[in-house]
Amino acid sequence: MFRFLMMTVFAVAFTATPIAVPVAAKDLGKPQEEVVLTVSNAAVTNMDGAAVLDLAMLEQLGARSFETTTIWTDGPQQFDGVSLATLIDALGMQGDALRATAINDYSVTIPLEDISDEGAMIAFRMNGAPMSVRDKGPLWIVYPYDSDPRFQTEIIYSRSIWQLDRLEVLN
Amino acid sequence: MTGSAPMTPRVRILIPAVLFSLAFAAVAVFGSHILRDVQDLNAAHKDNLQWSLSQTDVEFLEFYTALVAAEGDGDGDLNTLRREFDIFYSRIRILNEAELYAPLRELPRLRTALGRVDGFLQAALPAIDASNVELRQNLPDLAEQAAEIRPVVRDLSISALGHLVALTDARREQTGRTLVWLGLSVGGLIVALLALAGYLNHLNSQNVRRRAEVVEASRRMNVVMGTSLDGVIISDTTGRILEFNAAAEQIFAIPAQEVIGRDLADVIVPDHHKAAHAAGMARLRNGGTRRVVGSGRVRLEAKRATGEVFPVELAIQSAETAQGEIFVAFLRDISAQVAAEEELVSARDLALAGEKAKTNFLATMSHEIRTPLNGLLGNLTLLQDTRLTARQRRYIGNMETSGKLLLSHINGVLDITKYDAGRLHLRPVVMNISDLVQDIIDNQSASAAANQSVLEWQWDGPAKNWIRADKDRLQDILMNLVGNAVKFTHNGRIRVTLACLGRENGLQIVVEDTGIGITPDQIRHVFEDFVTGDSSYARNVGGTGLGLALTKRFVTALGGHIDVESTPGQGSSFIVELPVEEAEPPQPAGPIHARQARGNPITGPRKVLLVEDNPINRDVAREMLRAAGHYVVEAHNGREAVDLARAGRFDLILMDISMPVMDRRSATRAIRALNGPASLTPIVALTANVMAEEQAAFLEDGMDGILTKPLSKDALLGLFSSGALPEQVDEICDQKEPAVSDEHLQSLKQALSPDGARVIVARFCKEIDELIGWLGQEEGEQRQDLPRIAAEAHKSAGSAATIGALCLRRQLIAIEEAAKSGSPTDLALAIDGLPAIWLATQSALKSAA
Repeated sequence: MFRFLMMTVFAVAFTATPIAVPVAAKDLGKPQEEVVLTVSNAAVTNMDGAAVLDLAMLEQLGARSFETTTIWTDGPQQFDGVSLATLIDALGMQGDALRATAINDYSVTIPLEDISDEGAMIAFRMNGAPMSVRDKGPLWIVYPYDSDPRFQTEIIYSRSIWQLDRLEVLN
Repeated sequence: MTGSAPMTPRVRILIPAVLFSLAFAAVAVFGSHILRDVQDLNAAHKDNLQWSLSQTDVEFLEFYTALVAAEGDGDGDLNTLRREFDIFYSRIRILNEAELYAPLRELPRLRTALGRVDGFLQAALPAIDASNVELRQNLPDLAEQAAEIRPVVRDLSISALGHLVALTDARREQTGRTLVWLGLSVGGLIVALLALAGYLNHLNSQNVRRRAEVVEASRRMNVVMGTSLDGVIISDTTGRILEFNAAAEQIFAIPAQEVIGRDLADVIVPDHHKAAHAAGMARLRNGGTRRVVGSGRVRLEAKRATGEVFPVELAIQSAETAQGEIFVAFLRDISAQVAAEEELVSARDLALAGEKAKTNFLATMSHEIRTPLNGLLGNLTLLQDTRLTARQRRYIGNMETSGKLLLSHINGVLDITKYDAGRLHLRPVVMNISDLVQDIIDNQSASAAANQSVLEWQWDGPAKNWIRADKDRLQDILMNLVGNAVKFTHNGRIRVTLACLGRENGLQIVVEDTGIGITPDQIRHVFEDFVTGDSSYARNVGGTGLGLALTKRFVTALGGHIDVESTPGQGSSFIVELPVEEAEPPQPAGPIHARQARGNPITGPRKVLLVEDNPINRDVAREMLRAAGHYVVEAHNGREAVDLARAGRFDLILMDISMPVMDRRSATRAIRALNGPASLTPIVALTANVMAEEQAAFLEDGMDGILTKPLSKDALLGLFSSGALPEQVDEICDQKEPAVSDEHLQSLKQALSPDGARVIVARFCKEIDELIGWLGQEEGEQRQDLPRIAAEAHKSAGSAATIGALCLRRQLIAIEEAAKSGSPTDLALAIDGLPAIWLATQSALKSAA
């Protein structure tokens, strides 16, 4: 009951949050290293109608970090990454939802309205070290699960996609 | 409200509230469970766990496929193989490390499988991470190992899935149970809500009803107050008027809207009661004693708006209200009632005065009738002592009978008047009832014999002769009953039977006759006033009809009752039952001595002062006394009596009780106040009014006895023998002046022969007798001839001097002087004194001879 209420409250809060006006197409630059993330259907592109980013480019968008436990790991973990919201702003993504797809083609759809600054983050370092594919790397959408019970739901868990390599804006 | 539930309203409202809260809490708890379960179920198709598990299989196959492909193609891309390995490696690592899979890792089969797969991966790591060349060399080994591990991976996912299915089933079951509980809770909540709704509805209807009742009661109260005939005023403790109904408006002549809110004291309390009212209100407020409030009806005075003060009757009650104590006064203008009461009181006073006047009138009239009647009867008695022919004697006898009957009627009326005026007083004395009955039988025997009837009496059972009772009343009762029986019985028998009643010292007197009897119609009225029996018979026997009425009054006065039984033509029977006190027989000395004394009257003549204003009665008394040889000096009123009593000594003063000039009481007191022996002279009242309290008053005033009129010769002369009078101390002539001087008589005898002296004395006696006779005859006329009286007295005085009758001579000189001086009173006194002195002189002469 309580949880339901809280969700409703937040849903309203999100709705009220103005989505940032798309920034003028700015030059993303070209990836210098291995491409870790390809964003398609975004306003900002740098290669073949898509935006491709390496770890350095992601880090430049604005690093964020938090510590939390996850149901897939043992003990608290320190995550560094970039907020999904920051990325959306940066790439001028406009639409209803975001489809995130992993290396193994697992995909999940996240409504844009559910994305907040304090919510989903594309983590690229765990416990200070880059994540390998063998350890859910290189990119993992994580939430600060411990900070709020609303991040401890099955939906949130299902959106916590690891081995992320593609994002697509759905209209 | 039903009184069966001892619960307070608060408890009653608490129970459904608690019930409701419990049900609501249950629904909330179960609801949250349901929500969680539903969310869980919603999330199931995306379940990370299941996905991960199935992905284990898929990702292993991807890896295996890549491995097989790399092995088959000598120059194939190894990066794909490495990525697929990494993906699978990551998956197994998650299965090994994730908290999520901790429960799964508890499963032995899964743990074993997971250990083997992990072992395969760890073994494969060096080959995968080695250079392409080395990897290619190791591919066949890897493929072989992967083929071996494949069923293990399969087993891993299947066993995990099996467990998850069981978990899901358990959760579904749990959800089902939760749903059932939710249903029950909702049901309970609904029931609780329904109960609450029902209860609220009940409360509401109760409130509605109560409100209606209150409205109704208020409306009714307004109607009651509005239509009340009594003024209703409601005030608070400060005396401020809160309500003032229509009747109050009318009573106080002021409209309600002008007085509401004002102080009672200013509106209805009269000015002279304001201080008391203020004190009373202050006492009320301070919780002191409440004199008017709650003490029922009180009469007070109130004030109208016009300032008029009028009497009210009011009752005040106090009541507690939400606004504090109030006082409700009901008041009524009782001006009319008070006026009516006053009128009633004055009417009653008038009626009482009228009744008193009537009684007085009757008493006075009876008295006034009795006085001449006494004269008549007294004179008849005197007449009987004169020489009469037989016819005259018969006529006189008839006159006397009629006179006595008339007297008894008057006495009857007087007695009834006295009884009804409550002045009938009992005088119980020790008496012999047998003697009384015998006397009455003796008295009535002649009458009975005249009717050829037999009259007899007897005791039924043991006799009780001596009793203490009111003898006069008993005598009246018996006389009446026996007299009636005798009157109404011819050729029959009258029997008086006395009997002692066992209880209460009762005495029963039965008077039976075999006379004409009384009809049933008459018997009911027989004891009423002025009732006579058969009218034709009444003519025969006469009667006022008061006899039985009086008898019944006397019987009642004595504490008894009277009954009558009668059969017309056969006879009547009157039964009297009285409480009587048994008494010891008195010492025989008194009455016997008296009787003896009466039989042998003291012969010595006495000097009597007779005070009586009525000339006839005076004559009767005087003649009776003189006939018995006593000397009588007369006085016409109290003052004369006092003067005479002072002048000469008397053996007895007989005094009528009602006299002009100076009344009996003053005269008696004046005589008692005289100096010397005169003050001790016995005074006996003569009265027709024999009322007990009057008798007491007479004796208190200094009188020594009472004689009842009509005077009977026996009673009058009995005075002289009853021992009531002192010894005869007073000679007619005192010691210094003897009636007859022995010296003179002796010298006369010496001068003449004793015989000669006797002749002289005899002649002297004749002369004086003639003189007294002449003076006594027709005295009114004779006394006009004063010179002759003086001459005769002078002549006889000379004769008296001759024989030495000095006392007589002095009296004759006194007559002569009185006649000469022309004073009729002195003359009368002197003449009246003559016979007594003459009697004394005669006796002295006899003894001397």
